[in-house]
Amino acid sequence: MSYKPDESVLMAYLYGELTGDEKVLVEKYFQENPMTVKELESLQHLRKMLSTVSDKEVIAPPIVVDDAKQRFFWNAPYFKTISAIAASLLLLMIAGKIMDIQVNYAGNEISMSFGKPTVDKIIEQPLQQSLTAAQVQSMINASMQQNNQLVQSSLNESRKKLDASISKNLAMNSSKINNLVQQASRASQDEIRQFVAGLQNQNQQVVKDYFQLTTSDQQKYIESLLVDFSKYLQQQRNNDLETLQTRLTGLEQNTTVFKQETEQILASIISNGSSGNTNRNY
Amino acid sequence: MMHSDTLITRAKQGDKNAQGKLVQLWYKRIYNFSYKFFLDHDLAMEAAQKTFISMCRNVDGLQDIARFKSWLYKIAVNYCREEARKTKNSRWVAFDSVVNGEAEESPRWEGSSVRNDNPEKQFQQIELSDILQRSLMELSAEQREVVIMKEFEGLKFREIAEVLNVSENTVKSRMYYGLDGLKKILEKKNITKETISYEL
Repeated sequence: MSYKPDESVLMAYLYGELTGDEKVLVEKYFQENPMTVKELESLQHLRKMLSTVSDKEVIAPPIVVDDAKQRFFWNAPYFKTISAIAASLLLLMIAGKIMDIQVNYAGNEISMSFGKPTVDKIIEQPLQQSLTAAQVQSMINASMQQNNQLVQSSLNESRKKLDASISKNLAMNSSKINNLVQQASRASQDEIRQFVAGLQNQNQQVVKDYFQLTTSDQQKYIESLLVDFSKYLQQQRNNDLETLQTRLTGLEQNTTVFKQETEQILASIISNGSSGNTNRNY
Repeated sequence: MMHSDTLITRAKQGDKNAQGKLVQLWYKRIYNFSYKFFLDHDLAMEAAQKTFISMCRNVDGLQDIARFKSWLYKIAVNYCREEARKTKNSRWVAFDSVVNGEAEESPRWEGSSVRNDNPEKQFQQIELSDILQRSLMELSAEQREVVIMKEFEGLKFREIAEVLNVSENTVKSRMYYGLDGLKKILEKKNITKETISYEL
């Protein structure tokens, strides 16, 4: 069986609004599907619970409807909106008229002013003076000429000042050089000789002092060297003598010891010889 | 309902008495629909009053008097949605929700029209009613308005579809998933067939 009631059909059945063949079909379906019946029973129980919700008692208040207030078209919202926009525009226009607001648009430029703009008058003034191109050119030329004269005079003056300063400096320097040359020429041949002789004397004295100093130092050094060498020799001799003495003493002691040992040996030999003879006799 | 076609016809013709009678007849229903939608008295009163002001002003434009009920609920749903949007933006807290109702004289006891010999059972039923209404608030607005209109207001699926301007199948689908969601919410709160069978 392919029939299966959807939730709409179930609701219609639950509230008794299902009639005819569909009701029969649903009941047949219920016989074969106890789960659906159980679900419907639970919903039925829910309805039973909902039926316990009682109505609240309420007293109807008097409803007063004002008939006098008829709906004219000016009470409509769209009319109110349009009239509000129109009133705003009118207000702006009146304010503009009172303040004489001028709005101009020319040459990609929008300008807004209170009263008539004064810019036009300023532009017109130079046009009324009617200066020709030749006059303007002559004025420029005159101005250039005057400027050139001033520059030239200033240049000349500067050059003069510069020349005067250079000549003055040259004069001062040449006088100084002349004085120096004159002083140098005054120095005589004798003075040069004296200077050279003085130098030679000084050099001789320096060399002499040097040699004197060096010879005395060398003498002192050699003397001290000889003294030191003699001291060394004396010391060496003493040491040798001491060594010799020590060796002789040692030799003497050795000789004494040897002599004693020899005597002892001889004594023992003698004593051994006499005791042997005695034993042989017995 | 208790109104007749003639009452609506007279209201359409501008009869103030007929309009007033329609308000008296339908106010409780629209208020309770709004109350279950918001679970808030003030918001429900606001939405109900706006609904009936709109009804009085526009009833003359109603084409088919047989569709008065769905037309009225359509106005109510629109105002409920509008109020819900405002509330979501302003995020104010109703004073009633702050005051501890149990510590004072409970209006739920006063408001209950059902007088039962067993006060304990009556209290349990009121408590269950509270839980159910709070669980209802956990559903999405789309599912909630369908469940309220179907379960508490008794509208047919066709009428709900007219009110919401959607197809009948969409309404049934929302109803199914709404009930299923409610069942799961109640199960989380341990409200099942077994636990409360003694109260029903």
